[in-house]
Amino acid sequence: MKLYCLSGHPTLPCNVLKFKSTTIMLDCGLDTTSVLNFLPLPLVHSPRLSKLPGWVSKDGTINLEKELKDCAGRVFVDSQPEFCLPERELLDLSTIDVILISNYHCMMALPYITEHTGFTGTVYATEPTLQIGRLLMEEVVNFMERVPKAQSATCWKNKEIQRMLPGPLKDAVDVWTWKRCYSMQEVNSALSKVQLVGYSQKVELFGAVQVSPLSSGYSLGSSNWIIQSHHEKVSYVSGSSLLTTHPQPMDQSSLKNSDVLILTGLTQMPTANPDGMLGEFCSNLAMTIRAGGNVLVPCYSSGVIYDLLECLYQFIESASLGTTPFYFISPVANSSLEFSQIFAEWLCHNKQTKVYLPEPPFPHAELIQTNKLKHYPSIHGDFSSEFRQPCVVFTGHPSLRFGDVVHFMELWGKSSLNTIIFTEPDFSYLDALAPYQPLAMKCVYCPIDTRLNFHQVSKLLKEVQPLHVVCPEQYTQPPLTQSHRSDLMLELQPPPMPYRRCSVLNLPFRRRYERVYILPELANSLVPSEIKPGVSVATVSAVVHSKDNKHTLQSVPKPPPVAPSKKRKRVMDEPPVVMTPKPLLSGAVPLEAFLATLQKHGITEVKVEETADGHILHLQAEDTLIQLEEDGTHIVCDNNEPLRTTLRDLVLRFLQKL
Amino acid sequence: MDRECVSLLPRVCEVLAASGSSLPDDTSLEKLLDWFTEVTKAGTSLLESCPCLLEFISSVVHNTTLDPSILSFTLRLSGLVAVTEDAFTVLQQSSVLDLVFNLQHWQEAGLWEDPCIRIGWIQGLRTMMQHPKALGFFVQADFLKPLLQLQTDKSLFVASAANQMLAHVLLSCQSVSSVESNGVDEEGEDVGRSSGSIADLEYPAITVETNQDYAAVVTAISECLKKSLVPRKNSQLHQSLQILKLLALLLAQTRAPLWEKLLQMVADSVYELLAAGYSQLVLPLMDVILAAHSCDANRRVTDQRVSRLLSFMLNIRKPADLIQAAAAFLRRGRHDLVHTAQSARVLLLPLDIITGLNLLTTTADEQQFSMVEQLKNKTSCISMICVCLTNTPQITLTAADCLPCPPVLIVTAVLSLLRLCSGDFSSSSSSSSSCRDVSRNIIGSSKVQKCALEALIALSGSPGVEVKLPEVVTLLVQYLDNPHSDPTVLHKSYQALVRWMSVCSDLSSITDQHRQDLLQVATKRSCDIRWEVRDSTVEFLGRLAGVSVVQTTAEEVSDASVALLGGCCFTTPLLRAALQDPESYVRASAISALAQTLAASWQQGAALTQEHTEIVNQLLEVLSRDTEGFARRAVVRYFIAWLSSRSSHSSPPPLASSSLLMPSVRSVLSRGSADLDWEVKVHTLELAELLLHEAFSGQRGYMKGNPTQTHPYAVIPDTLHTRTHNEEDVVGELNSLVQWGVVSALLSGLVDCDRPVALRACRLLMTLREVVCPLSLGALDATAAMAMVAKVTCELPGCGWAREIRKMLATKAKDAERGCSVGEVVDCDDCGEAGQEAASGGGQTPCVSVCEVLRSLDLDERLDVLTRSSDHVHNSPFSLLQDILTASSAHSQPDTQQEVIVDCY
Repeated sequence: MKLYCLSGHPTLPCNVLKFKSTTIMLDCGLDTTSVLNFLPLPLVHSPRLSKLPGWVSKDGTINLEKELKDCAGRVFVDSQPEFCLPERELLDLSTIDVILISNYHCMMALPYITEHTGFTGTVYATEPTLQIGRLLMEEVVNFMERVPKAQSATCWKNKEIQRMLPGPLKDAVDVWTWKRCYSMQEVNSALSKVQLVGYSQKVELFGAVQVSPLSSGYSLGSSNWIIQSHHEKVSYVSGSSLLTTHPQPMDQSSLKNSDVLILTGLTQMPTANPDGMLGEFCSNLAMTIRAGGNVLVPCYSSGVIYDLLECLYQFIESASLGTTPFYFISPVANSSLEFSQIFAEWLCHNKQTKVYLPEPPFPHAELIQTNKLKHYPSIHGDFSSEFRQPCVVFTGHPSLRFGDVVHFMELWGKSSLNTIIFTEPDFSYLDALAPYQPLAMKCVYCPIDTRLNFHQVSKLLKEVQPLHVVCPEQYTQPPLTQSHRSDLMLELQPPPMPYRRCSVLNLPFRRRYERVYILPELANSLVPSEIKPGVSVATVSAVVHSKDNKHTLQSVPKPPPVAPSKKRKRVMDEPPVVMTPKPLLSGAVPLEAFLATLQKHGITEVKVEETADGHILHLQAEDTLIQLEEDGTHIVCDNNEPLRTTLRDLVLRFLQKL
Repeated sequence: MDRECVSLLPRVCEVLAASGSSLPDDTSLEKLLDWFTEVTKAGTSLLESCPCLLEFISSVVHNTTLDPSILSFTLRLSGLVAVTEDAFTVLQQSSVLDLVFNLQHWQEAGLWEDPCIRIGWIQGLRTMMQHPKALGFFVQADFLKPLLQLQTDKSLFVASAANQMLAHVLLSCQSVSSVESNGVDEEGEDVGRSSGSIADLEYPAITVETNQDYAAVVTAISECLKKSLVPRKNSQLHQSLQILKLLALLLAQTRAPLWEKLLQMVADSVYELLAAGYSQLVLPLMDVILAAHSCDANRRVTDQRVSRLLSFMLNIRKPADLIQAAAAFLRRGRHDLVHTAQSARVLLLPLDIITGLNLLTTTADEQQFSMVEQLKNKTSCISMICVCLTNTPQITLTAADCLPCPPVLIVTAVLSLLRLCSGDFSSSSSSSSSCRDVSRNIIGSSKVQKCALEALIALSGSPGVEVKLPEVVTLLVQYLDNPHSDPTVLHKSYQALVRWMSVCSDLSSITDQHRQDLLQVATKRSCDIRWEVRDSTVEFLGRLAGVSVVQTTAEEVSDASVALLGGCCFTTPLLRAALQDPESYVRASAISALAQTLAASWQQGAALTQEHTEIVNQLLEVLSRDTEGFARRAVVRYFIAWLSSRSSHSSPPPLASSSLLMPSVRSVLSRGSADLDWEVKVHTLELAELLLHEAFSGQRGYMKGNPTQTHPYAVIPDTLHTRTHNEEDVVGELNSLVQWGVVSALLSGLVDCDRPVALRACRLLMTLREVVCPLSLGALDATAAMAMVAKVTCELPGCGWAREIRKMLATKAKDAERGCSVGEVVDCDDCGEAGQEAASGGGQTPCVSVCEVLRSLDLDERLDVLTRSSDHVHNSPFSLLQDILTASSAHSQPDTQQEVIVDCY
């Protein structure tokens, strides 16, 4: 069993598991942090960004004025932002049989994997994962295609040149593999390969393994996966949460008794408790509005935003923000808000019950009804005419490199009355803000990450007790910035197996058993004999028939009746010669009794030597060795066949025959 | 004793002696006993005033078929009756006593099995044992043996009562012996000779023999203590616990030589118990040792045994027990230096380990090691640290030479601990991995944070810690800013900040950065999602305004709010926003905080601002609109604060401020007295009282507070007479009181259905009456000036409280007429007229003379009614006795029982 690790990002995993002749890809997360190296894509012409000076090395030898721009003391690539893809050289992606998706954040690289690689398999995901994943992809494509950029910067990627570049660009890894965003056509094609599954539904893969998704409690439709055969069980835990937010609670008990548990997607903010962050979000929001400023919340169009809106729904009244408008701007805002309301079966119990009442599960419906929350596909159109300040704007993309958020940064960045509140944990807020410096706007970082923290995960692992745990290497040591915090790492016995990008792990357990079926007529013909109380053994001669990874023992076909005509006789048709099998031996040779028997047969000079597995008898006169071991007996007797036969028969006397 | 009750008692006794099953409820007997106890305590002899009791006791004791509860009651009653020597003698002579406390009697009747008989027996004896005769009776009857057996009774209540009884016996023996020895020899050496002198004292019964008996009792008890102290098996720990409690009680109360003797007897057993190392017994053992030790301290020379036990305790192996013991020792305070220093070291050890600061210069490696091991366990780590933190202030109170390190270092340790709690390891100087393992146990523990903040509050007063102020402020601001701080932790942080500000009045070390950070964090927290946090923040803003500090070296004194937050210009907008808070507690706190913030400007008589007018309007709005009582109460208190700060102000109030205050007060009085919440009404009356005081302080007859509370012969201080009795002044003031609505508020309060309101209003009206028209002056028209006072009128509208008042006046008028007809001299013509007029004047709002109303309302009688609690009738002994009789008659005539129940219903 092998695990190929194509992504080193702990929360955006992409691993391939080879298990029992199947090749299963577990998630295909897309590392988008690479976009932080690019200049923002303004929706409206920005004089500031268009007048940035190009970059020339200090000694003037490298001139990349066209590709790189100097902005706020840092160098950025002036090109369509590019993403860091999962590793594609580690194994042939066309051999992948299936892709299992655990949540909509972990499928953003799907088009890169399924298109143009020869992939012919199936993708399994739950319905909300597919639908919301599609929205997120559509949103990114839309953000990029809205602001087309003709040129594509490639010179800077030259290894020799990159070495000379300043700051983070110099240290960026695998820049050659970075790719521009896919097209909508590719998205559609990729998503057409998705087959929908429900929680606990069992999917057979070629009869060899069975996979089934379990609720993971992190987002709508998010799942962990169980991959099992008759005798082995692998659990894949990715992005799970034990908090009671909107999704169905996590199914923990089904993870019990795993041989291997692959653990990814723990919280990126182990020291930030989501409740505290939510409180921080609300108070900073209220503080800004009260002082007459605007609040900008860069966020994804699905996920935490539902909880934020729900929290605000309760908070609005208490903070007397009833008249402040809340805007949600995204090309998919409408669909996101509406989809969330229809996935009733994927919601937590509390919200499910609301479906039976005449009220929608999420309170944001009421906010929309009462006109407190308004959503628009973009800043253009209706929004510009209805826009009132002070207000709260939720919009993407959280990297601040593309999407409508870029416009608001340019618009509000200069006033200290305004506040930007980061809630998504995926990007370093300082890096995100880098091209906007100097910034007068207040900046608040309250990342809300509801995924498991180290305390919760160690409790979970204590309960489900997997034999082996595999996890990203980041989880096996405290974070670099807090090296004293030994509580911020996984401490397990045996220690977890760490992986990093491009690792290939031999998972530490051997397959020992295989299930083989026996046909009834064959079973009827067996004659078991009891070798010890409760254990009976029978020999069987049969033909193994293997199809779809199912093995069946069938009776040996009888020789066909002799053909009436011998004209067309062929060698192939000759029935195989059925040999009567030799009897099987069992039992052990008792040393004392054996020696006594040898003596009876005139062999007296026997030197007995004890070994690790049994004994060696040295018949000195005959220059012969007899090795008696637990699972075998060897008689080393050169050129004396009669003696060997005698000795053999003596040994056989002590053994049972089948 | 009430004559009525005495007359009922014989019949009640008959009922009880006949059958106990017909009692109204199971508390009746207890209530009856309570009443008897009260009567006895008042000095009345039960037997003399109720001779029927003797008969009752003797008849009940013979009738063992009675309900055990009646028998138990009788046992306890017998003890109560025999509490005086005379009654005891009477009971003994009638041979009742022997039978009542005869164990065999109860055992033969098969009643001893019932725990209520056993407890009755113990308590009866215990009550009786107030004089030597009873003690003699106890000794002669050899009750000690059964009493010792009862120590291990299966009923916990019986065992505990027996325990108490033993202590009582021992202490009685001691007091008798000491009386006996007092006359002769302090050391009590010559017992034989002393017997002669006893005859001269009040204890003629004591002879050499009885004295020996007492000695035997003491020996037997101490033997028993010694024997049962060390448990044979784990299940007997409870018994040891009981004995330890008893021992602690005895060692604290006994004197030499009994003390010596007790200690002598039990010291070894205590030592054995210590060595056994039962964690559950650490605290009770410590109590025993400390009881012995504190007794010891009075005698200057420390007893070697006690000292040895104490040293043993402070060196126990188990770290958790050790900390408990050290904490218990320090809590007692005032002890010998050696052990105090040792305890301090023990308690500082965990802090030393976690923070890595060298609080202790040397520590035994073994102790350190076992402590570290124990601290690695999360649960015990947190509880141990909390015990240590709770006791740190105690440590700093000890003498400087006992302290292993200066208080400043302890403050540093607490600060460092607080940083560790919030996951900040940057300042931690401990580098060993075991220490890191320990420190991670406390990350995010709000329990430790709370204890540490409390310690920080208490440490603020220690000498030399002021230098830590900037560091403390920085840390507290960080705590306030931390999104993960628990609301209670935030509350404590605010408290700590206020406390340090008030102790370290010199704020020159506070930087602008501190101020800015605090300003930001306070703004943020005032918008917090949790109302508790908003409440604490608002409260903090108010508290800070009440702390005066020296801001700069120029000795400029201001309040801490000004010094830290820039004062009103920052806090007032926040507080005004908080007035809109959806949570009523927050609104109430905001109003109080506003009062505290504005107090300074009121006192300085600052000119009125537009903002102030707006606030007052907002508050009046709250008073009339707010749905919750808290906020409305706070509004009334706000005006009380304003008014009192104005009246305490020496120079005359500026016109502007007054022009806003008085009309507002008028609204507050009218709205407040019509409020639904009784506390709002009581506060409103307090406001009215302030106005009364302002108007009449110095007037003859004016007595601040409750007029009925002053003794009739009390000397009235001269200051009260400084202002001469000037009727014109009185008329003027009374007129303004009427105009402000004070009189209406008082009158409406008088007829209020809430007793506290009515009571207060009644007292205030009486005060007013004493000033404007004292009853002692007789006729209203005694003087011309009085006539003027009498002309001051107030309105009585035709609804609500006024209708009640008018009814009362009308009734009074009718009574007066009737009274006149039988010839009583009541000079109250006008009053009658006014009353009638008032009663008949439906639609309009007729005016009545204030004086008339005051004099006609029978305030004294009303006060009398109001002072009694509402259940005084129901709870009287008379009603109890009646209930018992009624229940029994109902019981004897079953067909009427139903009726009674219906009646009760």
